[in-house]
Amino acid sequence: MAPNQPQQVTLSPAELSFLRSTLVQSPPIRFDHTKGPKDFRSMRAEYDVLPGANGSARIALEDGTEALVGVKAEVEKSQRRPSPDARGNTLSVAAGDAEMRDTDAENHGKGKGQNSWIETSVEIPGFRDDDPLPVFLASMLTESLLASGELKDRLYINSRFHWKLYIDILLLSPPLSYPLALLSMTTHLALLTSRLPALKSEKDEDPLFDDDWDAAVFLYPKNEGKSLFGAAEDKPPVIVLAMAVGPNIIFDPCMEELAVADAVLAVACANATSSSTRARIVSIRTIDPPSHLTPPGVPNSMNSATGGTVPASSADALTQRELLATSGVWTPPRGGMKRALISQVVKIVVEEGGVAEEVISALQAIELG
Amino acid sequence: MPLDTSTYSLALLRLDGRRWNELRNIHAQISTQAAADGSSYLEMGNTKVLCTVTGPAEGRQSGQRGGKDNEAKVEVEIGFAGFSGLERRKRKNDKRTSEMQHTLETAYSSLLLTHLYPHSTITLNIHILSQDGSLLAACINAATLALIDAGIPMTDYLVACTAASSATSAESDNSDPLLDLNNLEEQELSFLTVGTLGRSDRVSVLIMETRVRMERVEGMLAVGIDGCKRMREILDRVVKEYGQRFS
Repeated sequence: MAPNQPQQVTLSPAELSFLRSTLVQSPPIRFDHTKGPKDFRSMRAEYDVLPGANGSARIALEDGTEALVGVKAEVEKSQRRPSPDARGNTLSVAAGDAEMRDTDAENHGKGKGQNSWIETSVEIPGFRDDDPLPVFLASMLTESLLASGELKDRLYINSRFHWKLYIDILLLSPPLSYPLALLSMTTHLALLTSRLPALKSEKDEDPLFDDDWDAAVFLYPKNEGKSLFGAAEDKPPVIVLAMAVGPNIIFDPCMEELAVADAVLAVACANATSSSTRARIVSIRTIDPPSHLTPPGVPNSMNSATGGTVPASSADALTQRELLATSGVWTPPRGGMKRALISQVVKIVVEEGGVAEEVISALQAIELG
Repeated sequence: MPLDTSTYSLALLRLDGRRWNELRNIHAQISTQAAADGSSYLEMGNTKVLCTVTGPAEGRQSGQRGGKDNEAKVEVEIGFAGFSGLERRKRKNDKRTSEMQHTLETAYSSLLLTHLYPHSTITLNIHILSQDGSLLAACINAATLALIDAGIPMTDYLVACTAASSATSAESDNSDPLLDLNNLEEQELSFLTVGTLGRSDRVSVLIMETRVRMERVEGMLAVGIDGCKRMREILDRVVKEYGQRFS
């Protein structure tokens, strides 16, 4: 389980209880009452902001949190590894040269990518590099990028060289709400617009690149004409945060809403390239919500100042609190997420016109417009 | 790799086509980030810097919260983004960075009216997004804008510029001082960074790390101070344009 956010929410037990009671209503009334449960915070986004990077993007959310991502690629020498299929390759060349060339163009680098070719670093002001929050955020983002598998294969140049992709993620503002979704969307946009110089050399020669930047190829190739065949173009994954409060599911929670969450899920989704659904889930993680650390409210019956009696022992206090669970006095939520809720989250994310499709197409629209 | 700047004497044009006293294209924005107390974004050519100000606020450490003698403490943190340079490099806190931080800290603790905020800290976070010369100058200009946005009182704009001497050989006398260097020129020429207080000629920051002949320094300083005055006008226009939105 990923660590909770460091910033403590400064809400009193009464405020927390009120906030929770509005969120468990049907339909829920969110902290920003104009938003429905599936609405995201509005954002300003731009891409190609840095002259010295292969791809870059900046997203600022309406609450003031802002992230900047720069993607830089460098050519690196691959370590020689004895591969089991090397012998098979030479044999098939002998069998049919023309046939081989066709499959080679199709499967260039297929399955040859390595996880170490992608390096992600997250920088958050006020945090050291080795603090748990940046480390966990970086590993979660890398995990989702690697999970789909296609990206690292695309970094393959030839048997001796490969691209090393450095993804540097900067959170420019203090982490007000859990910044994972913001960082992921910014990374998505930066990767979507990243370009690599076009390769001029062939096969296992030392790589030589076209110095015309206009000829550079996109890291995630765009196939405008081919959409007829139904094979959607591959896009980087994007992580959305979903939070459960009672029976309700709320997407993209803000800081105050996270403070009353029963459980928080980080769902990484990418658009499906083959299956019938429009999106697929790449990875799911639970995040420890800050609500677990909120102070419990003291009910009147346990408060001597209001005519109650202070429980004699801590065990006594615990049993009294158990009985108060539904009384409206704030008690920090315990336990995880119900299985039915998880499947409901997955369904909302993946379904046609669901959250995943909406987010991915919205980020795509930024690039087009 | 040594760079041949001898072509300058032929056409009196620099590598990027500027004349000796021309600034690069400067673009600045103020109040770019809603979550910060003050923020700014500054581009000087391809040098891009983003600055956010937190405070005056209670300091982070439990020990000394403010500065000495009931004055606010100014803290500066400079972060080099991994993608900022030509090659991707992670810069840990090296000596150059800490010297830049120290320069900004001392410059702003004397400029800001820190006695108004006892026991508090003003933190400047500077992100260097892209570096192409005049880094310290860009940091100072961005920090000034961000501090203005944060509404922290100061006596005047602190603006900075770089200036260099064009002649590389010792004997050539007809050397023009050059204003606002880019990265290539910085590697080749001896240069200084000068920061002045607004319209006055009062120098507040002056840093020079390379060798130059004594008699050239005066010319370089004059050009640098002149550049600072122009820089002040540019920054002043940015601030006023931002202010017009609320009038």
